[in-house]
Amino acid sequence: MSHRIFLLLFFAIVALYSTSLYAVQIELNVADITSPAFAAQGVSVTFVQDGAADLRIAALQLGEKKWEKVHLYCAKFILGADILTCERGTLDIIPNLPFTLVYAFSSKKIEFHLLGDKGESLQIHADFRAQPWQLNAVFLNTQIKRFAPLLPAGTPVPTAGKLSGSLKVQGGEIGVGNVTVDVHLLDGAFSDESGLHAGEKIELAINVTASHIEQTWLANVKLDWLAGEVFWQPMYLRGSHQLQAELEWDGKQFKLPQATLSMKGIGNIQLSGLWDVDSKKLTQATVSGAGLTLARLFADYGVPFMGGEAAKTSVMSGVADFDLKYIDGAAEEVHLALHDAAYEDGKKRFSLHGLNADIPWGAEQITRARLSFNSGALWGVPLGATELQMNMNGLEFSVPVASLPILDGKLSIQDFHLQQQGEVWQWEFSGGLTPVAMPALSAALGWPEMQGSLSGMIPHVSYRDKALKVDGALLFRVFDGRVVVSSLNMYDPFGPAPQLFGNLNMSDLDLGALTQAFSFGNVQGRIDVNVNALELVNWLPVRFDASVASSAGDYRKKISQKAVQNISSLGGAGAAAAVQRSVMSVFENFGYNRIVLSCVLRNGVCAMDGEPTRDNSYYIVKGGGIPAINVMGYNHSVDWDELLNRLKRVIKGNRKAVVE
Amino acid sequence: MKSLIKLMALLYALILSTMAWAAADIEINTPAITALAQSMQNRYTQLSPLLISGAVGLTADGLIGVHDAGAIPLSERQAVNALVIAENNDRKNLYQEIARANGHPEWAADIRNTFAQRWIQRAQTGWWIQSAKGWQQK
Repeated sequence: MSHRIFLLLFFAIVALYSTSLYAVQIELNVADITSPAFAAQGVSVTFVQDGAADLRIAALQLGEKKWEKVHLYCAKFILGADILTCERGTLDIIPNLPFTLVYAFSSKKIEFHLLGDKGESLQIHADFRAQPWQLNAVFLNTQIKRFAPLLPAGTPVPTAGKLSGSLKVQGGEIGVGNVTVDVHLLDGAFSDESGLHAGEKIELAINVTASHIEQTWLANVKLDWLAGEVFWQPMYLRGSHQLQAELEWDGKQFKLPQATLSMKGIGNIQLSGLWDVDSKKLTQATVSGAGLTLARLFADYGVPFMGGEAAKTSVMSGVADFDLKYIDGAAEEVHLALHDAAYEDGKKRFSLHGLNADIPWGAEQITRARLSFNSGALWGVPLGATELQMNMNGLEFSVPVASLPILDGKLSIQDFHLQQQGEVWQWEFSGGLTPVAMPALSAALGWPEMQGSLSGMIPHVSYRDKALKVDGALLFRVFDGRVVVSSLNMYDPFGPAPQLFGNLNMSDLDLGALTQAFSFGNVQGRIDVNVNALELVNWLPVRFDASVASSAGDYRKKISQKAVQNISSLGGAGAAAAVQRSVMSVFENFGYNRIVLSCVLRNGVCAMDGEPTRDNSYYIVKGGGIPAINVMGYNHSVDWDELLNRLKRVIKGNRKAVVE
Repeated sequence: MKSLIKLMALLYALILSTMAWAAADIEINTPAITALAQSMQNRYTQLSPLLISGAVGLTADGLIGVHDAGAIPLSERQAVNALVIAENNDRKNLYQEIARANGHPEWAADIRNTFAQRWIQRAQTGWWIQSAKGWQQK
């Protein structure tokens, strides 16, 4: 038996040193050898002159690998009564790896030395008469790419790296009993065909002790990844990490009772698992970690899985605790806790600070998560300290009520629901906004300073299949007037080219506050603005029916000289306003009766109109009172981009009105 | 009408593929297409060396793909992968937007096929192109 084992081990090791489809067996006076893990057929030895010998094996099998026509040459082959010697042995396919083999039949001892280029060597000493029998192998600079032919197809293969260390095997009559591996890999590299799973310059220390007790293998594995880099799509990781694991293998199940993964800059993760070999399924697993450093954890293991270019430069800080229980293909329980954490997206659009969370989730449990943060920002608008609770029932999440301070106001959210239907996630909520001071809000958004306050009601809002829909109307109060946003729908609001459809109806706006905000020149009065059938693509208007008209009612109506000039200049050089120069030069402010302007945008062209006159022109401002002034429009078709440019110039104040 | 759209798509592909984005002066001109084309143009400065080196190639379905990851240092593969995903998102949206802008969202697949052919025809010599036979260098 031990003789067979010797041959098996010997062929296994020689096979590792074969770089192509060949491996070698030396077999003397033994016919075909077969065992569950090893077989050699058609063994022949040809003795040639000068003591050399050719050994040929028609078919060799080691595990699932098969080779044919294996050929070994011994420059000096001695077969004595008690000893077999092969000196300067070579495999013709690996000419630079000469070896020497000595086997003593009576003492059942084997010495095998292999010498390669660049300091590569392997020494094996085996004693099969000892109790227990033992085999010791010492590697020095062994090239790991020699192992590539032994790996299953489709797995990443070693391409570079040198392995040094030792292998010790002990066994008895029933087979191998103990195995100890203590090796060190330098400059290791591996890659799959696509290059999407690859590593380079890897330094790795491997320490394995394994015992075969009854029908079960028990092993303790220590891997110390000291240096190097790995790209495992989509993650890019650098050393150092350490793994300590206990393993059990009974032929049917691969069990990981306990493992600890220590990740530099992150912390320790505890793992356990059970792999069923027949079904090829992970049937149980747990992953847990406490006090994990979020910055590196998020950068290495979170960001690569997030979509969107802004996410790629998102950062987190703080500490996390994590527990996951996995059973039969799905997460059963997840417990996530965040302590004094912070998040900032790459484009500075969204941030949260002082974030604390306790989220105990179960696939078939009703649980409640608690989340709070001290401060945050959304598009530059500060968010105040917030606490909320979320009810979780499997993949249904709901927040009955939440209040989010925004500057001096509050956004209230009622009945937020998030759930998965089929493969699609959908959410909905309703809410309201208590008054937010517009000067502070406009400053935070980088807009011109606006007076007044913003408040409103938010009816039912839902999102599904990239479509965001607002049922009912959004109501806001701004510039002392009323803003109603109705029929609001958005498609792919978080995509590269969001589309928005809706109606925007503003009534009774205070023109004084409005014109002051946009440095348009002061206009006293009130105005209604209606933008119907609005369609924005990528936040730019492509279609609308807009009108601006003085509000009904009795109020003070005054327009400044600067505003008159600016309104006139909007019409462009060919559409000058009819304003009397003499009057303009005398008065700073004028009375007016009515302001009217409409713009129907189609295909980049605004069809413009105002209060009809007897000819083809129209009033934009129709005079009234003393002193009165008319501002006329003549152009009924204005390029939208050009109109926007004029508006920008007007607001910048560098455009003079065309005055008659 | 369908053939007209194909012709327009073809023209647009021609313009896009020569990277004269700013000169795109054709009837298919919506803010979304402009935004997508601008986004793709901005990305092209990063993609160009990858196309030339063969790290990235044109796929048969009007997208791009990693052809030879080995040509990219390990530390940059993640970024290249993200670049490919972002470019493909823009391309898919571009095909859909052209179809949508012309009132026929169901033509997106035809437009994509037309683009795929034109991208490959207009590819520079030395770029890698995926066909039914696998990757080939133009």
